[in-house]
Amino acid sequence: MRRRDFVKAIVAVPLSANKIFGQTAKVQDGAQTSSPQSNSPGTAPAGPAVTPEPVEQPTFNYRTQTITTIIPDAVARTEGHFFDARQMATLQRLGDVLLPPLNGYPGSTQAGAPEFIDFLIGASPADRQRMYRSGLDWLNANAEKQFGIPFAKINEEQADKLIRPWLRTWVMDQPPTEPFVRFINIAHADLRTATMNSQAWSIAAVASGERTPGIGMYWSPIDPHIQMYV
Amino acid sequence: MPEPSTDVLIIGSGHSGGMVAKVLTEKGISCLMLNAGPVVDFEKDRDLKPAYELPYRGLKMPGRLEHVFQSTEFNANTWVDEKEVPYTYDPGKPYNWVRVRLFGGRSLFWSRQSFRLSDYEFKAKDHDGFGENWPISLADLAPYYSQVEEIFQVIGHPDGLPQYPDGNFVVDNSTWSGAMQRFIAAGKKLGVPVCKARSAMGRDGLASSINLLLPDAFATGKLSAVSNVVVRELTVDKNSGLVNGALFVDRHSKREMSVKARVVILAAGCLESTRLLLNSRLANSSGVLGHYLIDSLYGPRIVCSVPEARDGKSTPELMEGDALIPRFRNINTKEKNFIRGYAWNVWGSTGSMDPRNFADYGASLQKKLDSYAGSGFEMSLMGEVLPYYEHYVSIDKHVVDAWGIPVLRVHTQYTDNEFNMARDAVDTGAAMAEAAGFEVLSKSYEPNPPGYSIHEVGTCRMGDNPKTSVLNKWNQSHDIKNLFVVDGSSFVSGGWQNPTMTIMALSMRAAGHLADQIRQGNI
Repeated sequence: MRRRDFVKAIVAVPLSANKIFGQTAKVQDGAQTSSPQSNSPGTAPAGPAVTPEPVEQPTFNYRTQTITTIIPDAVARTEGHFFDARQMATLQRLGDVLLPPLNGYPGSTQAGAPEFIDFLIGASPADRQRMYRSGLDWLNANAEKQFGIPFAKINEEQADKLIRPWLRTWVMDQPPTEPFVRFINIAHADLRTATMNSQAWSIAAVASGERTPGIGMYWSPIDPHIQMYV
Repeated sequence: MPEPSTDVLIIGSGHSGGMVAKVLTEKGISCLMLNAGPVVDFEKDRDLKPAYELPYRGLKMPGRLEHVFQSTEFNANTWVDEKEVPYTYDPGKPYNWVRVRLFGGRSLFWSRQSFRLSDYEFKAKDHDGFGENWPISLADLAPYYSQVEEIFQVIGHPDGLPQYPDGNFVVDNSTWSGAMQRFIAAGKKLGVPVCKARSAMGRDGLASSINLLLPDAFATGKLSAVSNVVVRELTVDKNSGLVNGALFVDRHSKREMSVKARVVILAAGCLESTRLLLNSRLANSSGVLGHYLIDSLYGPRIVCSVPEARDGKSTPELMEGDALIPRFRNINTKEKNFIRGYAWNVWGSTGSMDPRNFADYGASLQKKLDSYAGSGFEMSLMGEVLPYYEHYVSIDKHVVDAWGIPVLRVHTQYTDNEFNMARDAVDTGAAMAEAAGFEVLSKSYEPNPPGYSIHEVGTCRMGDNPKTSVLNKWNQSHDIKNLFVVDGSSFVSGGWQNPTMTIMALSMRAAGHLADQIRQGNI
């Protein structure tokens, strides 16, 4: 069954879904009403004033089915809250210019990269936030100054005049350090990664014959994380 | 209940802890191993996933593991979190302390480059007058290197160079790629040797303490191991002054516990072992405990393209394969502005190139990436860092880790010797690449922050003089004869070489000596 069909099937038969989850709910209810002293299976909860109904115990004959889920990006859009409207429009245009759709692969916009970057930078340390905000403001201010229009409205030729002088080559782990140069090169790398690591890109890559686009060996949390204990 | 006791307490489970456990238990000595983190289950704990399923699309959680440049969102859960075990430093002198507390430690993830130190390192002072000689020479350690190379299945080619000592290799008789042949020829004209790299193949794809050392130790029935316990400090018998065990804390519940032992071996990694000794206020009559911190100079790099491999013409015969340029400076010559030397890792690839190498964007960038794919030829530097008393770690009494244990403060930075070395290395490497007909796309002279190489060594250095060294030539404390430190902290000088083979050869040798001492009743 294709993924989408499976999702439809779940939506179409709420009764079966309720059966599954209903059983779980009963187990939880039973646990809540049982007294700490008498929570062994099959024992009615103790309590002098109430005569509770017998708790239906789960049989656990049920074998966990494989439930296929999708990532939210497949059906939803990231709601950005960090950049203001002008900064976001600048970032979107920057993404369009740096990473347009090419050869059947999605561009920055189609991959939802600017919205993802808004989320990422909103969760980032203050110095990274300052770098992005001031960089986007600089781009917009210079578009206004040189061309009399916001960066979001400039054409490709105008964008090239604003961006190209600041592009640098750099080696691993050593992005440029000069303030605006740092922004434009890191933003380029971030937009690129957010685009190439999107599901939209992966689908296009599979369609082009790539076998394992963006696949890596992921290590789960190996132990309950220490933050649970400190 | 009587306090439990063990013969030998080993703190740490990486290459050095695994090695001493193997040697001692095989000689019939009971050992208890404590490790600060959990045991890994390769089947359960890892899974192939697309980046788009990760919460940050492979870009890492912001603010997490900021000093672990090697970390990705895929492997973030394998490193020590700085919030759990912090360390401090002067903001103007950052340090990258890269740690793994999983059972097996960093032996799970090392790069596997496998080199012997030469007498240009062991007897460095004899060559240039700087620092101290080691109390041992290559001849002392060679038999142990040979055994370690056998266990770790080191592949390499004997080259007969005194600064790149040959070993007990699985011999690499592979042919050089076309690009590398041109690079070798360019090196010959400049007097720069280009040799086969040397690397531990391990077994079953893994070259770790957990598959090559610890199984032998467990098989003897003489090794017990406890995971997820963090050692707070060592304990001392007030009458004899000898160490007699350790206080530790359960990582999860924070239950405090103690254990007694006849001998204690620290194998927690250079800086953790040093921190433990400093927090225990032990083994420092010399005053040099924590000092002479060194690592390897990493960061300088050159990325080239081989023109003949562009536009779909790349083949494995032309491009694939790696090489090593061993130290060649200050061997038969004397450089003007730096002592010691550096090595280059060199490799060609038929894969795609990183867009960072092209100051371009959009369709124009993609065109270049398509054209240059399969033509990449890269060099990354490994330089020797000089030991100074002023480069040291101390206890920061104002900051504690998740278990209330005071943390380390790191005081170090690179000096002119390292910067001058990096400049010479990149200029020489780029000249070689250009002489070979390659296009240099990007290069950097800049070192990454100290610590980045994950080669921290030197803070419990060995020596014959108890007034100027922490350990003797057997990795044994001058002050406390039943205390050994077998990780990289015993190093007197670092060399350009990855330290793992030397750490294991030293720990094998130290464990053999300890077993003899126990048998003779001296400990």
